[in-house]
Amino acid sequence: MRTEHDILITPNRLHPKGGEVIDRTTTIRFTFDGVEYTAHPGDTVASALTAAGVQVLSRSFKYHRPRGLLCCSGHCPNCLVQIGDEPNVRACTRPVEAGMEVRAQNVWPSLNRDLLSLTQLGSRFMPVGFYYKTFIRPQKLWPLYEHTLRHIAGLGEVHIDTPLGEFDKQYLHTDVVVAGGGPAGIGAALAAAEAGAQVLLFDENPTLGGHLRFTVPMDSSSPPEASKNLPELLEAVNHQPNITVFTDTSVLGWYQDHWLCAVKGTRLFKIRTKSVIVATGAYEVPLIFDNNDLPGVMLGSAVQRLVHLFGVLPGKQVVIVTANEDGWDVAADLQSLGVNVGAIVEERESNACSSPYRDGLINAGVPVFYRHIIVEALGSNAVRGAKITRIDEHGEISPKTTQSLHCDLIVTSMGWTPATELAYMAGGKSEYNEERAEIIPVSTPPGIYVVGRASGTHALDSQIAEAQQIGTAAAAFVGFGEVDGLTAHSPDISKPRRTSERVCVPGNKKRFVCYCEDVTDEDVQTAIAEGYDSIELLKRYSTISMGPCQGAMCSMNTIHLCAHANSSTIQETGTTTARPPTTPVTLGALAGQNMEPVQTTPIHQWHLDHGADMMVAGFWLRPNHYGDPASEAMGVRERAGLIDVSPLGKLQLTGPGVPELLERIYTNQWKNLPVGRVRYGVMCNDEGVVLNDGVCAHLNDETWYMTTTSTGATPIFEWLQWWLQSGWGEGIHLTDLTDAYSAFNLAGPQSRAVLEKLTDRNLTNKAFPYMRVRSAKVADVPCRLLRIGFTGELSYEVHCPSAYALHIWEALMDAGREFGIAPFGVEAQRILRLEKAHIIVGQDTDAMSDPLSANMAWAVKLDKPDFLGKPSLMRISTEGPKQLLVGFKMVDSDVVPDEGLQIVEPDADGRLTITGWVTSSRFSPTLAEAIGLCWLPPELASQDGAPFTIRIDGNLVEARVHHDAFYDPDGERLRM
Amino acid sequence: MLLLTCPNCGNRNVSEFRFGGELSSRPKDPSALSSTEWANYLYMRNNVMDAQTEWWHHNAGCGLWFLAERHTRTNEVIKTYPYAKRNA
Repeated sequence: MRTEHDILITPNRLHPKGGEVIDRTTTIRFTFDGVEYTAHPGDTVASALTAAGVQVLSRSFKYHRPRGLLCCSGHCPNCLVQIGDEPNVRACTRPVEAGMEVRAQNVWPSLNRDLLSLTQLGSRFMPVGFYYKTFIRPQKLWPLYEHTLRHIAGLGEVHIDTPLGEFDKQYLHTDVVVAGGGPAGIGAALAAAEAGAQVLLFDENPTLGGHLRFTVPMDSSSPPEASKNLPELLEAVNHQPNITVFTDTSVLGWYQDHWLCAVKGTRLFKIRTKSVIVATGAYEVPLIFDNNDLPGVMLGSAVQRLVHLFGVLPGKQVVIVTANEDGWDVAADLQSLGVNVGAIVEERESNACSSPYRDGLINAGVPVFYRHIIVEALGSNAVRGAKITRIDEHGEISPKTTQSLHCDLIVTSMGWTPATELAYMAGGKSEYNEERAEIIPVSTPPGIYVVGRASGTHALDSQIAEAQQIGTAAAAFVGFGEVDGLTAHSPDISKPRRTSERVCVPGNKKRFVCYCEDVTDEDVQTAIAEGYDSIELLKRYSTISMGPCQGAMCSMNTIHLCAHANSSTIQETGTTTARPPTTPVTLGALAGQNMEPVQTTPIHQWHLDHGADMMVAGFWLRPNHYGDPASEAMGVRERAGLIDVSPLGKLQLTGPGVPELLERIYTNQWKNLPVGRVRYGVMCNDEGVVLNDGVCAHLNDETWYMTTTSTGATPIFEWLQWWLQSGWGEGIHLTDLTDAYSAFNLAGPQSRAVLEKLTDRNLTNKAFPYMRVRSAKVADVPCRLLRIGFTGELSYEVHCPSAYALHIWEALMDAGREFGIAPFGVEAQRILRLEKAHIIVGQDTDAMSDPLSANMAWAVKLDKPDFLGKPSLMRISTEGPKQLLVGFKMVDSDVVPDEGLQIVEPDADGRLTITGWVTSSRFSPTLAEAIGLCWLPPELASQDGAPFTIRIDGNLVEARVHHDAFYDPDGERLRM
Repeated sequence: MLLLTCPNCGNRNVSEFRFGGELSSRPKDPSALSSTEWANYLYMRNNVMDAQTEWWHHNAGCGLWFLAERHTRTNEVIKTYPYAKRNA
């Protein structure tokens, strides 16, 4: 029962009745702009505020005009509010929660006294496209313009310090997806499920039922019983195990091969289906007239939602403006609830009106104005009256007959536009049906079906029959049951529910086509006059249909206005292309969880336990350093160090065809490499660009073991697979051992002494020299040892089965303790290799670098038969390189230029020309100098010691070309 | 999302595959080519608006490089088959 208190604070709440979704036994409290309001569980923010008599919910985007509820279905922009940290929430669909803090958006200083609305006084200086026209000059003032415009225009606030929300994604697989859970969608889902198909049924509302939740079936002769058929349908869905229902879920888009995207709050669904039934209903189309955006002007379906779902009526004196039977349905509906229907303004002649409620309403004394239309909504912040006028025999409005009606709610029911975006995304074709004045789908690709109001079928019994047919057809399409004869879709128009062709009533105030971006019908005329006369151009120039409503409120009206201005037909004018998303979606839902998968090596926990600072390198987590990279590097130079190089790509090639393949994919010689030897090689593509480098070991007669860079492991494996599978694979078996094997580099003058403690293999320089490979047991585990030297010191790369990796790592660390062994990370390795002027592919080279220019000519044998890149390299060799990669030392050894800095050459006037760039640079702890690698013009690079300048923070700093390695140029330490 | 049928693994999301470009083959004897012919091999593609035979790699699956006939306008995949069966 209502109490006196309730009446005071919720004057618009009606007496309880059936079909409501609110729980009147409980009252919760929330605030809107700091004022406390009450609500019942089940209320939306908008229904609770409307119950309390709040009419202004937002201010418009450009002119800051007051806006109130329009569609009440989550499609228009008029009720966008900020809830806590969350901007742009639709108040009409968001359930109220106790304690919720709701605020109006884009207002200053407050919603009801928004001084920014003064912008409309200057609106004649803000025509359509005014951004493009006004703010382009002078260009240097743009930051000021932008700052001001950002303040005036726009929607909610994003708080960048808001913690990351919980978002996730779910993958679904099914036979049939039904988008839309109204009577047609439910019927189609039931038919498909009965045939045996698995069905997912989506609806954007909290419960299934569509318009049956709040409308009177038009073909029902009995008094309003809004949900007469609904309980039966819901019961059938509940008992059908093949149907899974998702409510509060919007299907956002259709993609290739029936891949759908849907969102439910913070969860994004990615759905693979075989067939899609579009049952998304229709949008009620607003009428364009003077002040048609005034709070209190609402769509008929919006009022029915408020009344039936929430027991709220947003006015006491109602004027209904209509051109079809829907308006009469609404009138009868309100009348039956005891609401005072002040007038029905009917565009048609009386004899064109066939509503079954007509006589009843007239007998009850409701004034009906046939052949009349509204011309203006009266009032400043809310509706206080309606100005109506007669339509003359030519269909024009006659100003002389204008009269005013007192009212506080104007309900428009002018017609519908099918919500068929999903069908058009899938490639469906549409046509303008003149009889219905609706654009309806006429063909859809295989597996796509449209049913119900989306297909133009409005009568409930026809919807149910059509749904049965479509559901059966969809099931048959995916292989369940058979279908007799349904090939093409034909909507049932036997009970025509005409949409008015009149979309705009002329006047002398503002008439809004697009509520999202504040575009008036005059703006549309102006844009067309300026030449933006095709519907796609008009959309982009005026921004109509590009706002939060995504065209739901404005598309149909714009097409009419465009067609009228061009004196063309609706069919000729066409529609804009439907694209996802059908409704706004948060970036958080699209992004999902913050997941960047990385791989870890078997030594990962050990690294963490020993203070490693981990970094992401490619797909791997690797120790960057263990505290002090410079001393780690010095430890390798002076004693021994151990680095985990498990992310290296490791490929095994076996078979008689391997030597020929190696000759083709590397730029140097391979056939002559004896068993037991290791060789460095560079791989190029046919453009002569360096793809990768690494070593390859000849293990035994027909077995070779190749390593690639860590980041190159996957692409090089794929690339080799391509050459092998496309003609070069004869007699070759390729296996990726990257994960199966782990690898460590034991480096430093003491490394032999360390390793000798763990193996019986003779490690003397004579028995196991530089650039050799040996099989050996290390700490009782069979391993492959490669004596190579990226760091420039005596070193052994130990490759072992990953399952034993930690055992061997710990054994090496134990054995090395007496020699002062220490682990070293990627940073120390980068210092060590740079001291040796060893390049890193991808760091010192890019997608334009060839090996001749990259100081690796020694690894290119142009005299061998064909290999990948040879013709391109021959050409580069003949013409000479354009840039050379070369080492440099800084004159001031304390200055280390950042990698990527430009090398410049000043002319006589001090103007700078960029001649090169720095690719690697470090302070060398061994030499106590700043060193690096850079690209320079050949004439400069070829002179050892030549000076050049690097621009650092605007200063020119001197460096000198350095040929050879910075450390141990003769490589003696590698061969110790 | 496009579906592709790997000749080994069956129908899978296109995100499991890597696109390898239209089918072309490396010249048998590159040294016999003029610079123009070599440049054509490197850089020129047919870029048809029609059914195109192209390479795909099942990199999140079996590792097979196979051929697909796909219509470049409609994205319809007409058939897929191993390279070895290209002349079948």
